[in-house]
Amino acid sequence: MTSVKLWRVLFALALAIAALAVAACGDDDDDDDGGNGGGGDQTAEVKQFPAGSTLGKIQDRGEITIGVKYDVPPFGFKNPQSGEIEGFDVDMGKIVAEELGVEPKFVEAISDNRIPFLQQGEVDLILSTMTINQERDTEIEFSEPYYIARGRILVPGDSDIKGIDDLAGKRVCTALGSTYEETLREQAPDADLKLVDTYSECLELLQNGAIDAISTDDVILTGMIIQDDSLKMVGDELTTEPYGAGIKEGEKEFQQFVSDTFAAAERDGRWGDIYQEWVGQYLNKKAQPPEMTLQEALALG
Amino acid sequence: MSELWEVLSEHFPELSSGFWVTVRLVLISFAIAMVVGTAVAALRIAPLRPLNWIGGVYVEVFRNTPLLVLLFISFAGLRRAGVPIDAWVAGTASLGLYTAAYVAEALRSGVFAVGKGQIEASLSLGLDYPRTMRYVILPQAFRTVIPHLGSLTIAMIKNSAIVGVSLLALPDLLHQARLVNSRTFATNETFFWAAAGYLMLTLLATVAVRRLEARYAIHR
Repeated sequence: MTSVKLWRVLFALALAIAALAVAACGDDDDDDDGGNGGGGDQTAEVKQFPAGSTLGKIQDRGEITIGVKYDVPPFGFKNPQSGEIEGFDVDMGKIVAEELGVEPKFVEAISDNRIPFLQQGEVDLILSTMTINQERDTEIEFSEPYYIARGRILVPGDSDIKGIDDLAGKRVCTALGSTYEETLREQAPDADLKLVDTYSECLELLQNGAIDAISTDDVILTGMIIQDDSLKMVGDELTTEPYGAGIKEGEKEFQQFVSDTFAAAERDGRWGDIYQEWVGQYLNKKAQPPEMTLQEALALG
Repeated sequence: MSELWEVLSEHFPELSSGFWVTVRLVLISFAIAMVVGTAVAALRIAPLRPLNWIGGVYVEVFRNTPLLVLLFISFAGLRRAGVPIDAWVAGTASLGLYTAAYVAEALRSGVFAVGKGQIEASLSLGLDYPRTMRYVILPQAFRTVIPHLGSLTIAMIKNSAIVGVSLLALPDLLHQARLVNSRTFATNETFFWAAAGYLMLTLLATVAVRRLEARYAIHR
């Protein structure tokens, strides 16, 4: 009697778990459809690459896997209403996919794992607010800069921190593996650095009072202010952060293709539209495609 | 091979500071786990139903909650609720209280291994319950479960790495290794040294347990 009851309970439990699993899969499918929707209506001719080349293989597959951030509005984030991945980086990725005549597939890449993802072939392309620098350039190829961000500091509205010089003895958060780790060590050596995986964790820590400030790119900080308007940006521009797309080391043809695609988008106004949608309307700045070249960006450090 | 030594010599300050943070984290958590674990075990076997019940709830709650979830609740959760808890307190308390649930269960099994007759004998000789526990039962129980406590300690040393990767951002061995990795991209070399650091600690714990066992353990 009791054993029959037990079996019934176990069976019901198994059913519940199965139902949950099915529901979860359903969600995934929705996400994929959402991501694919952008590249849907392709216009006529697309340049075909030789079958053996990396770009040719992507065209054969009909899909390009792009690593973006999921928690960094307005560059790469999951829209809480629709569940879709959106943002500046995402739109740039859609342009690359469109020029190749394939569907974009977006996956999450955080600061710490994005370079290994490229090296291991988990993704074809990285568009995740990644600053071009020499250290990274020895591991991967960069496209020409597609955006220039500036380093700033974000603090609660009532904070007395006014700039980098006030950070001594304060707890400052940035992402592990980001360029700010180095920047802060040099420019604010007495700050108590708190290094976490994602900027959403930094925001959590700032809101719950465990840290005093966040330092990273102005656009990422703008995204945080959009989420929580009690925060404010302070100080001068600490650094110049030219963003580049990341491509696997040695893939020169791919690198050239991405740079050409970005240059075309900057010329014909598509870049300007993306800028206006994600950054311009918040920063109140006119669209100005980056004039800096990859060589100049690398010369920064 | 040479790269292996290069990573260690160039990043020794970061890695060794991480190692000592891990040692501190483990020592404090171990103390919490032993003290709280013993108290909970005593509650679970006390001759009073409500006390048994409290001890049981403690064990089930802490043993059936992922450590990472405890870390989120004890740090982010409490801070959101207005308790200005420090990352060190949240980290050591979470790891210590989590391990305490396992320690309590181990001790309880040790107490059951001590013959029931001894409790009855002790009580009939006029010792009260706390004294019976303190002088008769627990010393024997501890000695029986030394090997088990050893495994729990090793598990705790390894679990301390979870504290390091959580949003507490304590600069422990794993945290520092990830930092070095993000600068050097020498993934294999960096994590080899992290693994070596944890191995040093777990081996040390193993040797300590062996010694204790050789001296005190009761083989039944």
